[in-house]
Amino acid sequence: MLTRSRLLAILVALTLVAAACGSDDGGSAGGNLEKDGDCASEDYYCVGLVTDVGKVDDKSFNQSAWEGLQDSEADYVEFIETQDSKDYANNIQGFLDQGFDAIVTVGFSLGEATGIAAAENPDVDFIGVDQFQGEAIANVAGLIFPENKAGFMAGALAGLMTESNVIGAVLGTDLVPPVVAFKEGYEKGALYTNADATFVSTYHPGGLDVAFGDPDWGATTARQAIGNGADVIFGAGGATGNGALAEVAKDEGVVFCIGVDTDQWETVPEAHPCLITSAMKLIDAGVVDLVAEAKAGSMTSGNFVGDVGLADYHDFEDVIPDDVKDEMEKIIAGVLDDSIDASI
Amino acid sequence: MIERLRASALLPFLAVILGLIVGALLILVAGKNPWVAYSAMVEGAFFGGNAFGRTLEKATPLIMGGLAVAVAFKAGLFNIGGQGQLLLGAAFAAWAGFTFDLPMIVHIPVALIVGGLVAALIGAIVGGLKAYRGTHEVITTIMLNFVLGNFTDWLASRDGPWNDPEGGALARTPLIADSAQIPRVGGLPTGFLVAVGLAVLCWWLIERSTFGFEIKTAGLNKNAATYAGIGVNKILILTMAISAFLAGVGGAIETQGVTNRFEPGFNTGLGFDGITIALLARTNPLAVVPAALLFGAMDAGSSLMQSQARIAPEIIAVIQAAILFFIAAPTVVQYITRARNVSSEDDGVRLSAGWGG
Amino acid sequence: MTTATATTSPTVKATISKYLPWAIALAVMFAILFAMSWDSRQTEAVGAATVRAAAPLLLGALCGLIGERSGIINIGIEGQILLSAYCGFMVSSLSADASLPTVISLILGVVGGVAASALVGFFMAWCAVSLKMDQIIAGTVVNIFALGFTSYAYVQGRTQPRYPNWTVPGLSELPFVGDVLFNHGPLTYLAFFCVVGVHIALFRTTWGLRTRAIGEHPGAADTVGVDVARMRYKNMIIAGAMAGLAGMLLIQSASAFSRNMSNGKGFIALAVMLFGRYRPLGVLGAALLLGFFTALQSQLQFNQAFDIPPQFFGMIPFLLTIAVLAVAGLAARPPAAAGSPYEKE
Repeated sequence: MLTRSRLLAILVALTLVAAACGSDDGGSAGGNLEKDGDCASEDYYCVGLVTDVGKVDDKSFNQSAWEGLQDSEADYVEFIETQDSKDYANNIQGFLDQGFDAIVTVGFSLGEATGIAAAENPDVDFIGVDQFQGEAIANVAGLIFPENKAGFMAGALAGLMTESNVIGAVLGTDLVPPVVAFKEGYEKGALYTNADATFVSTYHPGGLDVAFGDPDWGATTARQAIGNGADVIFGAGGATGNGALAEVAKDEGVVFCIGVDTDQWETVPEAHPCLITSAMKLIDAGVVDLVAEAKAGSMTSGNFVGDVGLADYHDFEDVIPDDVKDEMEKIIAGVLDDSIDASI
Repeated sequence: MIERLRASALLPFLAVILGLIVGALLILVAGKNPWVAYSAMVEGAFFGGNAFGRTLEKATPLIMGGLAVAVAFKAGLFNIGGQGQLLLGAAFAAWAGFTFDLPMIVHIPVALIVGGLVAALIGAIVGGLKAYRGTHEVITTIMLNFVLGNFTDWLASRDGPWNDPEGGALARTPLIADSAQIPRVGGLPTGFLVAVGLAVLCWWLIERSTFGFEIKTAGLNKNAATYAGIGVNKILILTMAISAFLAGVGGAIETQGVTNRFEPGFNTGLGFDGITIALLARTNPLAVVPAALLFGAMDAGSSLMQSQARIAPEIIAVIQAAILFFIAAPTVVQYITRARNVSSEDDGVRLSAGWGG
Repeated sequence: MTTATATTSPTVKATISKYLPWAIALAVMFAILFAMSWDSRQTEAVGAATVRAAAPLLLGALCGLIGERSGIINIGIEGQILLSAYCGFMVSSLSADASLPTVISLILGVVGGVAASALVGFFMAWCAVSLKMDQIIAGTVVNIFALGFTSYAYVQGRTQPRYPNWTVPGLSELPFVGDVLFNHGPLTYLAFFCVVGVHIALFRTTWGLRTRAIGEHPGAADTVGVDVARMRYKNMIIAGAMAGLAGMLLIQSASAFSRNMSNGKGFIALAVMLFGRYRPLGVLGAALLLGFFTALQSQLQFNQAFDIPPQFFGMIPFLLTIAVLAVAGLAARPPAAAGSPYEKE
């Protein structure tokens, strides 16, 4: 039966495991993380961030937005991670109660809660990342991105780099509009530079709750795409896409991979052997700009279109031929000034 | 009587305390202050703003999911499919909500029942496969979670039939009519009362009705039930249908009382939590209510805990696991606390007895 | 439950005649479909993905199988997989930080992951055997704890070395089977050796005989001198190690931990165990079938074979599994003593 020593052993084991694994993720307070004023006061500018269901260290859009906020001109910033989609309104209200001056909400699914809170609190500025504004509300800025353009650039590079003319994409879910825009733009861009390109693209087969958190599926599917002859693979879908990149990396440069959202050279070091570039949407820069506007009292209302682009080639600077680089420069410029049609 | 009550309330109380101590240790390891964390949690669950309303709101689907699992257990069935059934109920209640134009007094129950019945249909299929094809309900319900999750996602997606025309490319259904929305009374969600009412009904059904007796008999021993002239196949199908109905109504209450539309990703994990609640309540329908309130309060308080104490809200799950463990292990509780008679008698619940079917 | 009219110890032959035909028939059917409409490169890709997707399900199901054969129902496989993935990743990552050679840190990671899951197995045995706790509760405790704890403790930013793919010299040159079977990560091969190992151990060794005995008739086993409690502890630890390997397969695949990365695989493994009717070879068939359906749905999306929304492709593996089971009408009979603690008389 239950002896004292056995119980003790189990408790000790548990504590050891906890101590070994548990680590402090509070983040060293510093910069605008240290609260040395009163958010309710006029001249102390506080900005809160409400995540989509996810964490501020998701290597994806929540993280970009949070990093942007930390770089912003706000005097004090704070985040709250949403556990349950039904808490969006409550989490926004939490910041309002503390007298925050502006609130960043991340992800399209917070759009509705953001709109309602904005209508009730006309003195507070709201920045909605990935939230398209149908009709402008004075105190809401929707930070949106032409993902199709970023996808187009990545696809154009893929079209130039492929030898097999088979191009792969491992994607999150089509329930999320930006993912669809990335994919459609990517395929259009590849066809722009390579009329013979064929595609092996697949969305995650599960629901919204798992589609961005299944790196094993991403990796297995990337391998299957390689088996189908693909030699460039675009991973677009949070941890799922990161799994695809890491799998491609196992082929040590024989197959190329392309990241998404941020420069994934920084966030997914596992992918270094294959990562030629990333299709970026500069959420952090957009957040910095909008917070600056809001603090100055002149925030754009309606839609604020953020910047997109391709990340550096990093270690592949020498692998990618010069004529391809020249071609890409023209294409990037053309896509950005709309002389090349990347619309989907 | 008082002695028995004291004994039966003592174990859950001690289990909660011990669970909180486990959580406090983890918080200490992370270098934070447990007292600050827990007071924020309590404030976020009961005081301040609409905290208590949120607790009730979060407890409601837990009650329904818990009842679904508990009722199935009585017939020796393990329904792991609460999640899929709940989603189905949520989606179809939304459909009934935005399609029909009815007076409130009719519309609310109609939408609830539509959600419940569609889920019940799935439950009946699961029960039928079990009864006539011997297909284990654990397999079918797990598989159906994936199928129904995808199906309801599609219904609301931009290619789907119920997509909100005003939502742009967003995957969601239109708002349901005002007449289908379950009203709040003084900030408190009325859907909670529906759930409590159904819990009482389930208790009556199981403990007081002939049908409940048949369910329990079939759950304890199929052969004996057959000898006694009980149609075991009928019981399996009906019980699974009732179980799924309860989960479906749980989803419907979420749609009609909280979200006012169906949107993929808004009901994640609720059905799975039902398993925990049913186990915590030892499959007693009445005990499901306090069990759901406890966990609902912890969930509701977790956001304030994060904003005030900077503690990741996932710690709540660790504490909940510890509470469930201690409730199921009276000997350990007795040993640690030196309390006498923490559990008055072994209630002999053997949930796993239903496994073999 | 029902009075145990224990079937005679199942032989390979019985297993094949009872169960495998369905799996094989279906697989062959689809293989023919493939051969007719798709090129061999695609067939090979699907085959390789099948093997790869099947491996974690296989090990998860073996974990459940060993436990239940010994009389302990384990629904905590999901938690064991997740916890071992986390701990294995942390160990690999920390040892790589300590600039140990890649091979060493990978091996240490596997050891760490397997040990973590084995520890959970010990915990569940303690709950079931010593505390006589309800086993469904014990499994649920593990699931909730694992998800909460790993999400709480995980901090982004760590990396670990990648697992290499091992191509088997010679064999991988073979047409078709070369790419399908002999171009995987090292742990994938290990998974398939485990099936064979468990099959032989269960039906050809004293350990297997005793294990089956304590699962069917613990009383009888006790009278002939088998220490039921001790055996159940031992087997739950072994079973935990299997689930630990399943968790490490996810790390081998994804090269990093991510929150909730098990994504329900432990539950699917449970279904695979029941589908395979508590037999290692049956489990092998069931896992391959599910893996095949999963790979098939990706391939159908690749080929844009049907113009249907992705959500419907995603349903294919699960609907087909239900269909196969319903048509085959195979009821699994669990070991008689599964679920109940053994009371010495």
